[in-house]
Amino acid sequence: MIRFLLRRTVSTALVLLVLSLVVYLVFYAAPHDPARLVCGKGCDPARLAVVRHKLGTDRPLWQQYWEFLRGLVVGRTYDAGSDSTHCAAPCFGWSFQTDQPVLPMITQRLPVDCSLAIGAAVIWLLLGVGAGTLGALRRGRLLDRALTGLTLAGIASPVFLTGLLLMMLCCAYLRWLPFPSYVPLTQDPAGWAANLALPWFALALVFAANYARMSRGLLLETLAEEHIRTVRAYGLTERRIVVGHALRGVLTPLITMLAKDLGSLIGSAQLTEAVFGFDGMARLLVDAVNQVDLPVVVGVTLFGAFFIVLANAVADVLYAVADPRVVLR
Amino acid sequence: MSGRPAGPTVREAVMRKRRAVATVAGFVLVSGLATACGGTASGSAGGAFDPAHCQGGTLTVLAHAGQGKFDPAELYTSGGGRVPTLVFRTLTTRDHTAQGPASAKVVPDLATDTGEPSQDATVWTYHLKPGLKFEDGTPIKAADIKYGIERSFAPELPGGPPYLRDWLVGGATYQGPFKGAELPSIETPDDSTLVFHLTKPEGDFPFLATATQFAPVPKDKDTGTDYQKHPISSGPYKVVSNDSGKSIVLERNPYWSRSVDDQRLACPDRIVYTSGLDPAVVNQRLVASSGDDARAVSGDVDIDASVLARLNGDPGLKSRVATGYFGDTNYLAFNPNVKPFDNPAVRQAISYAVDRQAVINAVGGSAVAKPATTFLPDQPAFGYTPYDYFPGGPNGDPDKAKQLLAQAGYPNGLTITLSHSVAGSGNGPAVAAAVQQALAKAGITVKLDGSSSDDDYQTKTQTPATEPGFFLAGWGADWPSGGPFLAPIFDGRQILPEGNFNSAQLNDPQVNAAIDAANRLTDPAQAEAAWGALDAQLGKQAWTVPLYHPVYKRLIGKDVKNAYVSDWTGVYDLSRISVK
Repeated sequence: MIRFLLRRTVSTALVLLVLSLVVYLVFYAAPHDPARLVCGKGCDPARLAVVRHKLGTDRPLWQQYWEFLRGLVVGRTYDAGSDSTHCAAPCFGWSFQTDQPVLPMITQRLPVDCSLAIGAAVIWLLLGVGAGTLGALRRGRLLDRALTGLTLAGIASPVFLTGLLLMMLCCAYLRWLPFPSYVPLTQDPAGWAANLALPWFALALVFAANYARMSRGLLLETLAEEHIRTVRAYGLTERRIVVGHALRGVLTPLITMLAKDLGSLIGSAQLTEAVFGFDGMARLLVDAVNQVDLPVVVGVTLFGAFFIVLANAVADVLYAVADPRVVLR
Repeated sequence: MSGRPAGPTVREAVMRKRRAVATVAGFVLVSGLATACGGTASGSAGGAFDPAHCQGGTLTVLAHAGQGKFDPAELYTSGGGRVPTLVFRTLTTRDHTAQGPASAKVVPDLATDTGEPSQDATVWTYHLKPGLKFEDGTPIKAADIKYGIERSFAPELPGGPPYLRDWLVGGATYQGPFKGAELPSIETPDDSTLVFHLTKPEGDFPFLATATQFAPVPKDKDTGTDYQKHPISSGPYKVVSNDSGKSIVLERNPYWSRSVDDQRLACPDRIVYTSGLDPAVVNQRLVASSGDDARAVSGDVDIDASVLARLNGDPGLKSRVATGYFGDTNYLAFNPNVKPFDNPAVRQAISYAVDRQAVINAVGGSAVAKPATTFLPDQPAFGYTPYDYFPGGPNGDPDKAKQLLAQAGYPNGLTITLSHSVAGSGNGPAVAAAVQQALAKAGITVKLDGSSSDDDYQTKTQTPATEPGFFLAGWGADWPSGGPFLAPIFDGRQILPEGNFNSAQLNDPQVNAAIDAANRLTDPAQAEAAWGALDAQLGKQAWTVPLYHPVYKRLIGKDVKNAYVSDWTGVYDLSRISVK
């Protein structure tokens, strides 16, 4: 187990390093000039040069990249003539556009993404596994076919459609809920939940469909296995057979799926954030790309990648917990 | 959006483009639903507006784009923008008390008048009104305004307009006050007097003095790049919280009163600016107008097709839409250094052949755009002088164009390339296609060349070395006068190796002299006439084909009163609005 964790840590660091280099290269290859955007309209060449120097974009790529890596470990100082700013380690860079260190910009938004992801995951697991189980138990009957149809619809409906429809219905027409805007959990738990309810639901609908199909198939498969036949022969009730024995076999593949989905959610939550006006990481990334704000792009990308790698490692550990046959090396 | 620093800020212009994309992507769907669900608000803001009894409540501003940086040195907003004008008072301002074209007039704000020019308009003197105070009660002095301007020269605080660096003596080399250096061309002989020494006559100086760089900044409260988090207010509201401009909460500044400010009413006790909202959501929230949204206004989102479709059937909703203008022209630009655009007859033929109605349809119809045959926007403040030298009517005159092409030596037509942005803006593929179809009727085959990004497009079209021969462009003025409209586009001395907007690369001594002469005029009426005459003269040479001027239509909640769109900024004047 410890060897596994050590190996995972090293490989994670390597993946992130390669990723950061790739993002740097892609950005550098593009014919952008962040200094021009920062400097504004009618910026004369001399001033443009000063701004370029402050942003560091007048230095060679390898030097910029090296400064970035060094900053992660020992921090770095941005020298802008009279006004030098220090960015303490781990320094993920300094935003061109907002004149702030990148790390707090990201950590401020993490609660939004975590609230969104975890709440939605709980709902899609309940809905998905519930629907999948029902479908498997009523295989071929009307309910099963209705659920299959619904899951198809769920997979086919993008968040910007369901999200807007839900808002039209629940906020504008029925007025059950406020138009969502993020309220921190610590500030007002009820408001937090009320404002997140629609985004959770909209996001969950898309994912729940996959989980329903997956768990239905897996459950049918498990129910056909011999050990189920054995417990059935012991005369256990159907409920105990399904809950106590069959669902366990469904669990492990679902954990892997969940980990991957949660990890990548930060990358794919952009539409949800955009539709509901939440100020999360995805929006930060999109804004940064549009404003050619390289330090933010690199910072958010690395954070996103970190979560994906982390989620996969956690999934592997949970896998071992749920299935005793799996041994981590 | 190349060549388009349009709108109050460059960033806003970029956002405007994005807004258009998002609207199309998201809300074609909802247009039908809006009527189906019918979550309408009833009626308009009832009762007459009484400025004497308008105080109280919280006004919410729902916006797509964030306010961005909030340092007066870094803001690029003309006339004080929407939120900035609530916090930053400047020497002069746009006329907040008037509606329609009159709101584009410049009036005194912190100063007693719009400025006293010297004989040749190279020295401008301002006196401060008595009793002016910052949010902490300390008096506002001339030195605070001087310091605020000096800060805008610091490379650490980039983004503001370039004019001060060009206009003030010594401005070109001054690097800001952070190392202790002062700018001698701003004198403060006493606490209430400021004297500006300019490198050349500038009759438009009172317009420039509306920029937030002219807001006072107390030197001992300056925190450099952190100042934007809590700038010290000189206006009716102070900043309570500011999340990188994405959401801003303002509360009343206790040291401000209407007795020292005749421009702002400052009715609400609190103003909350919320951004990051999908444009369609902003519109739907304002249509529904429930809860806090009844006391909300649209910050930067124009009404979309779904709302437009409902207006005629819903008078209550119709009364909650205000229409406004902002000096902005979308046009076709020629680079005469590229053949065949060096031939005036070719440029004229294209001018005749263009179908403006098709272009307007491509950007959303006549509700959001009106045709342009002049480069200057059709408002008196710009010096609008009507002309149409190549009258093709609303749909173009392909026959006349063919005739001109034959004269120019292209009896069998010709093939040209039109560069455009891929963004869904006025420079995007839809407009390019409309131009392509219209020119085809005149025998001109147009190949389209879309850039991979807005940024590339800007760089390409604004660098003379890479400038295409024929491309879509737009220009928005920094203030409603002919100067900031014509000079950047036609002044030969403003051709820059990069960041160039003089796309014709025109360097005509006569035109340059006419620009100088107009800049010297300090009487607005005379200046308007001079700019109008210059526009009419330039129009004959077909250096551009003006296509349309955008029209802004925005929604308010049902409990909002006295909301109107300023003709200077194209946005609601937040300083005059009240909530029930």
